[in-house]
Amino acid sequence: MAIRERDPHTGHMTIGHEWNGITELNRPVPTPVWWFLGAAALFSVVFWVLMPAWPLGDTYTRGLLGVDQRTTVVQKLAEAEQQQAGWRRRIAAADFAEIEADEALMRVVRGAGSALFGDNCSACHGAAGRGGPGYPSLVDDAWLWGGAPESIAETLRVGVNAPHPDTRVSEMPAFGHDQILDREAILQVAAYVRSLAEPVSAAASHSQAVAAGKEIFAANCAACHGDNGQGNSDAGAPNLSDSFWLYGGDPQTVFRTIFYGRKGHMPAWEHRLAELERKILALYIRDLRSWPEGARR
Amino acid sequence: MFGFHYRLERHSIALAVAIILVASVGGAVEIAPLFTIDETVEHAPDMRLYTPLELAGREVYIREGCYACHSQMIRTLRDEVERYGPYSLAAESQYDHPMLWGSKRTGPDLARIGGKYSDEWHFAHLFNPREVVPESVMPAYRWLSRNELSTDDLGRYLAALRKVGVPYSDDMVAHAADDAHGQATPDSARARGVAGRYGEPTNIRAFDGDPGRLTEMDAVIAYLQILGQLTKAAYGSAPDAGE
Amino acid sequence: MVAQLTQFERRLALIIAGLMALCGLVLAAFGHRDPIGVHGLIILAAAIGTMFVVISGSFADVPDDSHLGRYYDDPIKVGVVLAMGWAVFAMAVGDWVAWLLAYPEMTFDAAWSGFGRLRPMHTTGIIFGFGGNALIATSFHVMQRTSRARMPDQLSPWFVLLGYNLFCILAVTGYPMGITQSKEYAEPEWYADIWLVIVWVVYLALYLRTLARRQEPHIYVANWYYLAFILVVAVLHIVNNLAMPIALASAKSFPIFAGVQDAMTQWWYGHNAVAFFLTAGFLGMMYYYLPTRSGRPIFSYRLSIISFWGITFFYMWAGSHHLHYTALPHWVQTLGMTFSAMLLVPSWASAGNALLTLNGAWHKVRDDATLRFMMVAAVFYGLSTFEGSFMAIRPVNSLSHYTDWTVAHVHAGALGWVALITFGAIYALVPILWKRQGMYSSALVEVHFWLALAGTLVYVFAMWNSGLVQGLMWRTYSASGTLAYSFVESLVAMHPYYIARAVGGLLFLSGAVVGCINIWMTARHAPGTAQDAVRDRPLVILASRSLEPGE
Ligand code: HEC
Ligand code: HEC
Ligand code: HEC
Ligand code: HEM
Ligand code: HEM
Ligand SMILES: [Ca+2]
Ligand SMILES: [Ca+2]
Ligand SMILES: [Cu+2]
Repeated sequence: MAIRERDPHTGHMTIGHEWNGITELNRPVPTPVWWFLGAAALFSVVFWVLMPAWPLGDTYTRGLLGVDQRTTVVQKLAEAEQQQAGWRRRIAAADFAEIEADEALMRVVRGAGSALFGDNCSACHGAAGRGGPGYPSLVDDAWLWGGAPESIAETLRVGVNAPHPDTRVSEMPAFGHDQILDREAILQVAAYVRSLAEPVSAAASHSQAVAAGKEIFAANCAACHGDNGQGNSDAGAPNLSDSFWLYGGDPQTVFRTIFYGRKGHMPAWEHRLAELERKILALYIRDLRSWPEGARR
Repeated sequence: MFGFHYRLERHSIALAVAIILVASVGGAVEIAPLFTIDETVEHAPDMRLYTPLELAGREVYIREGCYACHSQMIRTLRDEVERYGPYSLAAESQYDHPMLWGSKRTGPDLARIGGKYSDEWHFAHLFNPREVVPESVMPAYRWLSRNELSTDDLGRYLAALRKVGVPYSDDMVAHAADDAHGQATPDSARARGVAGRYGEPTNIRAFDGDPGRLTEMDAVIAYLQILGQLTKAAYGSAPDAGE
Repeated sequence: MVAQLTQFERRLALIIAGLMALCGLVLAAFGHRDPIGVHGLIILAAAIGTMFVVISGSFADVPDDSHLGRYYDDPIKVGVVLAMGWAVFAMAVGDWVAWLLAYPEMTFDAAWSGFGRLRPMHTTGIIFGFGGNALIATSFHVMQRTSRARMPDQLSPWFVLLGYNLFCILAVTGYPMGITQSKEYAEPEWYADIWLVIVWVVYLALYLRTLARRQEPHIYVANWYYLAFILVVAVLHIVNNLAMPIALASAKSFPIFAGVQDAMTQWWYGHNAVAFFLTAGFLGMMYYYLPTRSGRPIFSYRLSIISFWGITFFYMWAGSHHLHYTALPHWVQTLGMTFSAMLLVPSWASAGNALLTLNGAWHKVRDDATLRFMMVAAVFYGLSTFEGSFMAIRPVNSLSHYTDWTVAHVHAGALGWVALITFGAIYALVPILWKRQGMYSSALVEVHFWLALAGTLVYVFAMWNSGLVQGLMWRTYSASGTLAYSFVESLVAMHPYYIARAVGGLLFLSGAVVGCINIWMTARHAPGTAQDAVRDRPLVILASRSLEPGE
């Protein structure tokens, strides 16, 4: 069906074929197409000359600029560190009290700490540092391992029950599971423990059990938690006489804690975060406590 | 040119051959040299293999489609290195059949997640992400702790991987199922076998908190805890004790 | 459908179904402790169903030779229906998945319904189920009309169509059971991959055999594209799916490549699945239905040549733009980026060629929603290829990669280009197939058009926004030069956009449902045309075994 026709609308000739009604105009390729193709090719050739581009057997062309993504990022990181050298040096050199007294440095701590905390810590301790069952709140006054900035920084470095050679170690024994105490005794000591935090209500309802529990506590628990349950930050044993609970203060949870024991695990950050970053985090945590409710982004 | 084409388009076989030829160039030039250029994959003499349990966890990761939301590839960009750690090396996934670099980050990159969180956290998070991260949109994977891990095929996994180039030894293949149990049952005789075959630093723990049962949860957590830990090559020369 | 088969074809169909039943039985028996056993049962059921249909249809008379004077359109009808069915299914899953990212609890406490298993159901269902069926169906139509030749036999089109759908079913039922290779757009396991190779070889043979019977000296452009689609997808599919099964009675396999080589192979495949499945095939579709519907000649034959070979050559180099800044060596990234830039030229040449073809028919675009579907599709094609080339520039990709920007780009292409051109083509095709004067209701076509356009715009704008916000938040620095936002903060910022996207998806899905109703009503109730095949040039009758090229 090779009949070349003229398209009445455009005035161009068709190429003279027809497929079930379809025809094609034999019009030259519009020149802009060639320009753009040329421009894109030129751009590419320039790029190939400048950058690593073509494979050659067991090597490749490196490009005149000698650029490689790996050296570039290392350089960018070094530049960034250079730009931050001012405050980096000051935070590294100063001790905690000095930094906390320096509002300008604390602004840096808040800025840098926010994302660091959000990306590394908030998964366990919550976005606002309030913790949750098993994960201590970092904004209350109860500290397992001491609330001094140096202690916090050390906790961050080595972790708790972490696979770090210097890790802090702590374990609440499983008195029930390991058959150190029987059920009855655990119920009694649990009642006593609860009475430490809420003396009024607990004492009123279970005075009998509380008295018995006090004996058991002295024999089994005081070694770690102290005679009056005030805790021991060398062993990471929590204060039981305050109103803060790590795992929970309701009867079931306290019973479970004593029956099955507890062993919290806080990762060590020495090899994941730089010393400076850990220092910033320690300061950031202490600062968090002074933030009004809901002030964190 | 157009005259030539005018003739070419009259022959279907010639057209087909031309298409194949024109289309083959790109792939050949870009893929083949990746096997011949030595520096494509870095040397990592300390690289160890996935244990059978970790491999089983990797299969769970694939099966559940975690890769649809999580990348395992830290790019050579400042913000990624600062957020996730040293950029990923080709060596780190040299035994990954298939690679799980991913193409979408609905959740964070996981290339260096190993050791970042505790087993308990991973358990709680996989069981119900919103329990620990209220903002999370990650699905809850409760069934992982319900399902016993099937270890029947692990020997075949290792054998098949060996055929495609992963250097598992006969001993490893023969003990695959035992090793999977052993790695999640510390203090057992089987656990000692794992350490012998895969090295002392291997994580041997009751990953899901229950040494009595071997679950799919054990496997995924074992896998997550080894991500980024198979070799220290990415950390440069700095020795990295304690992890 | 069996009535159209010759006696020989009926017997052959029975033998093939019998062989498949045997394969299914073997898989079901030896794989009964593995998910592959379920697939064995599905294959067995499909084969027995086929045998049943063939046997019960075998009592019909063998067709006389008069059917050789007509095009063979029965499989096309089925293909169109299947395409629409897959569209509704896969878009519904897509929308479910979209809601899940806003409200993660909107699912069951069951493994099959996890996001990571549903997402590939969406992508496979939509690309292969919807897209693939639409391509197969339209290619059967286009290759016959532009060759002025009936397909060489009646059995192989059915084998291709139904065999292909079996592949899709194996894929989509595999994910909820946990069967996947995890390679994006190539997730089905080794046995499904092998089955697809068989189907594909028959498809290629069918295409070449039909071309060989053609009565036109030249092969029309649409066929170049369909042919490139078939050939290149075959090459890609085979190379990317090379794998070592752990046992013949197990679904599990390990791909033979690892790490960086696997990544490059995967994205060489993945990018060109876009190129030759979602682009070349649909360009073939556009090259037939746009000029026939508008009644205009193609703007420029020479431009078609440039764009066809440009696309075929350049696309194959561009896959590495999915791996910018990764552990893939820098030199490959440079090649991927530069070829992506050059690729824009033939891509826009195609889009331009389509839009300029409409010169002289713009009044039809205004009045005819079917043609408007195709016009808007060409615009979105131009847009998404521009966006793609832009995103392939390394620094741009450093921002867009891993974010919802990629998802926006995907759906600008997928909804705006792939789905719209398909709906346009189907609305043009359905009245022809069922021999109606037109669609049952052109008002409903209009409704579908606006729902689809609105859905696309809402979806794409929502994801552009969220992608940019996400990408920027990840790299925003505070005054002191440290990262300003944590990952979770960026996640929280996505929430409103995820809701908007899900609403947009719902609009798009409703449009497709309207389309289904309209097609159903057209097939059942629309008034017919008096003459048979009035729109087609008369078919030149060939002796049924003739294979001489028609020059
Ligand atoms: C895998 C969960 C997890 C992550 C992540 C985590 N922590 Fe902890 N953290 C804990 C647990 C559990 C404890 C309590 C350990 C114990 O039982 O003694 C703890 C304890 C602490 C303590 C000691 C509290 C006290 O009362 O003495 C500090 C300080 C602390 N974490 C800060 C951080 C910081 C800063 C980060 C981020 C760099 C972080 N944590 C990340 C789980 C975690
Ligand atoms: C070997 C030292 C040790 C002994 C003995 C010990 N504890 Fe503990 N206890 C701990 C440690 C360490 C923790 C914190 C566990 C953690 O951080 O995961 C703890 C935690 C607790 C808690 C949880 C506090 C909270 O905030 O949720 C309770 C309650 C408790 N102990 C009660 C007792 C009682 C009652 C006894 C005696 C029957 C006892 N402990 C004996 C070390 C000890
Ligand atoms: C719908 C998307 C989605 C899927 C599927 C998904 N995740 Fe997540 N994942 C997230 C999001 C969002 C976060 C960030 C919030 C959080 O910590 O839960 C996350 C966080 C995580 C984290 C913590 C990362 C960090 O550095 O804080 C781990 C580990 C993780 N996911 C593992 C998995 C595993 C294993 C699977 C599959 C079994 C999986 N995810 C499937 C979305 C997903
Ligand atoms: C009703 C309409 C649709 C909705 C609601 C929808 C929704 C989605 C969602 C939620 C995702 C996952 C994105 C993520 O992981 O963040 C997705 C991915 C995808 N969809 Fe759709 N979709 C729709 C239509 C389509 C169509 C018509 C196509 C193709 C023709 C398509 C192709 C894809 C592809 C290829 C991906 C994977 C993208 C990637 O990996 O980057 N979708 N879709
Ligand atoms: C010139 C043409 C095109 C170019 C250069 C191009 C380029 C790109 C780039 C750079 C990405 C992002 C890769 C990443 O960062 O992960 C991408 C992703 C994608 N594009 Fe395109 N694109 C083009 C056309 C199209 C078209 C027409 C479609 C049709 C649907 C499409 C579908 C996709 C899909 C599905 C993805 C997601 C892949 C994934 O990560 O799963 N592209 N494209
Ligand atoms: Ca993707
Ligand atoms: Ca596959
Ligand atoms: Cu691409």
